[in-house]
Amino acid sequence: MGTTVGTEAKLDERIAFLKKQAQQVRLHIVKMIHKAQSGHPGGSLSAADIMTALYFDILNVDPKNPRWPDRDRFVLSKGHACPVWYVCLALRGFFPIEELDTLRQFESRLQGHPVSTKTPGVDATTGSLGIGFAQSIGMALEGKWLKKSYKVYALLGDGEMQEGVVWEAAASANKYKLDNLVAIIDNNNLQNDGYTDRIMPIEPLDKKFEAFGWTTRRIDGHNMEQILTTLREAKAHRGTPFCIIAQTVKGKGVSFMENVRGWHGKPPSDQELAQAIQEIEGGLK
Amino acid sequence: MASVKEKVQLRKTDSPTRKSFSERMVEYGEIDHEFVVFESDIGYSTYSYLFGDKYPDRYFNMGIAELGTMAAAAGMAADGRTVVVSGYGVFLTMRAVEVVRSFICYPHLNVKILSSHGGLTAAIDGVTHQATEDIAYMSTLPEMKVLAPCDKFSARAAFDIAMQTPGPVFTRLMRDPLWDMYTEKDTFRLGGSHVLRRGGDITLVSYGDIVFQALEAADLLAKEGIEAEVIDMYSVKPFDAETLLESARRTKAVLVAENHQKRNGLGYEIGTFLLKHYPWKSAGVKSLKFDHLGLEDTFGESGNYYKVIDKYGISGRAIAEAARRLLSGARR
Ligand SMILES: Cc1ncc(C[n+]2csc(CCOP(=O)(O)OP(=O)(O)O)c2C)c(N)n1
Ligand SMILES: [Mg+2]
Repeated sequence: MGTTVGTEAKLDERIAFLKKQAQQVRLHIVKMIHKAQSGHPGGSLSAADIMTALYFDILNVDPKNPRWPDRDRFVLSKGHACPVWYVCLALRGFFPIEELDTLRQFESRLQGHPVSTKTPGVDATTGSLGIGFAQSIGMALEGKWLKKSYKVYALLGDGEMQEGVVWEAAASANKYKLDNLVAIIDNNNLQNDGYTDRIMPIEPLDKKFEAFGWTTRRIDGHNMEQILTTLREAKAHRGTPFCIIAQTVKGKGVSFMENVRGWHGKPPSDQELAQAIQEIEGGLK
Repeated sequence: MASVKEKVQLRKTDSPTRKSFSERMVEYGEIDHEFVVFESDIGYSTYSYLFGDKYPDRYFNMGIAELGTMAAAAGMAADGRTVVVSGYGVFLTMRAVEVVRSFICYPHLNVKILSSHGGLTAAIDGVTHQATEDIAYMSTLPEMKVLAPCDKFSARAAFDIAMQTPGPVFTRLMRDPLWDMYTEKDTFRLGGSHVLRRGGDITLVSYGDIVFQALEAADLLAKEGIEAEVIDMYSVKPFDAETLLESARRTKAVLVAENHQKRNGLGYEIGTFLLKHYPWKSAGVKSLKFDHLGLEDTFGESGNYYKVIDKYGISGRAIAEAARRLLSGARR
């Protein structure tokens, strides 16, 4: 049976634990992308706190039984950030932590973008932006149809919001009153070619989602208390689909990667890795 | 007829074809002030940003929205203007394919598709980023012309051909820098090809990154006394049937290798062509051997480029093996 990890602990203890866990997640992210010499550090680090809260508090999943029919679903619609997902899955026990070293390598289960048939715990194949979120609509519809109590969580990028299919999905969630669906937007204001508000503005996201019939919250995506309380609120919420707009910093936790376009899809060198580790571990204290 | 090279000088390149194509686009921007470029947020990957830096008013970055970008490009091209649309092959040829078909090819608009990450050259990113069906989609569309350059010089030439050919043109480009084999002096044309190596025993036909692998295969075969002819079929649609036939009549064996699904790739096209009217049945040629290498009804995977193309049977080693098998008459 699936259980969440120690939800019974007091809130501040829980937050302290999750903060520590998030730093572990960040360490693994930079190490595995360095090892692969390929991958997307910026968007993995910006999502690290949210993903940690999901996998170590919110999601009702069972590492022993990844396809347990009643599990909560998670869809990484911004599939390029899969290092953060693989780390959370490994730390949660879906596969051995050592396997993180095989990221993007020949015949590895950890493909360059998430593949549901290869990696235990990956509920949907993604990598083509916008499509993951649209798939989460189908998962939520199935849950409603079968009267299941699981929830579906989808994590999207802010640049990803530019895909038309995202808005098709948002409209259908309203029509079918998918209150078992939670969309989280990693709103780091950077995409491949530059700042999102210059490439193709997408704000005001809260007003847009409200107009589409969603309940929205805007939070600091690196404030663990806000992340946790809002995700718990979303989990309990009924009546409408729920959208969390998380204000984040791309590359969060590694000074030279923070808010720099060039760290979207570039691996760190040996020296850069050493500095990244030092900074992340420094943050652990 | 294609020119024949005496000996190809291979040089490791610093410029992937996606970059060379975009660099030529920037130069061309000075000659031709009328064309514009549409990007879908991967300008730093296709190098189209170079054009945007130089001509900001002729560069439209439409964000991560390939379908809408393609349709907007069609709108800008409606009265005859030339519009280049830049992006990754998977997204441009599949998410936007209906727009390309019905609203660009059908009205015969001057839209030139700059398509990066063709075939398994985006190996490390995995299947969602590997355009292994792009040639099939694009060459199936009426009016569409398809180019697949293999190096810096042919990529630059492909841009010129695309601009000088009326109507839609699709150019398949690659992610990684590989080898240069041409020079500034070489010329290219729509429907043309180049014979990169002469040989009388078997004709190896390829395009894009696999041209280099075919040359590797020819080297391996030469050590065993098999002389392979290597044709760079950089113009995939229309392809140079004349050069192919001339070669096939001499070698009596054709092996097509491509970084693409076998199904509906260039090999299917050539195979059908050779079967159709037996155009090679002249000058005493009674039978012709034919085989085709590519993805065998399968998806690719993440990993080191060479390991991946070797696994899927399109490396120099694999091509040489298939050539031996074909010549010895062994069935697969
Ligand atoms: C449909 C599609 N188009 C283009 C890409 C290439 N691509 C990968 S990541 C990216 C930028 C994503 O920006 P954003 O959604 O803001 O993600 P984040 O900043 O969190 O990395 C692009 C354009 C893609 N993966 N899918
Ligand atoms: Mg972003």
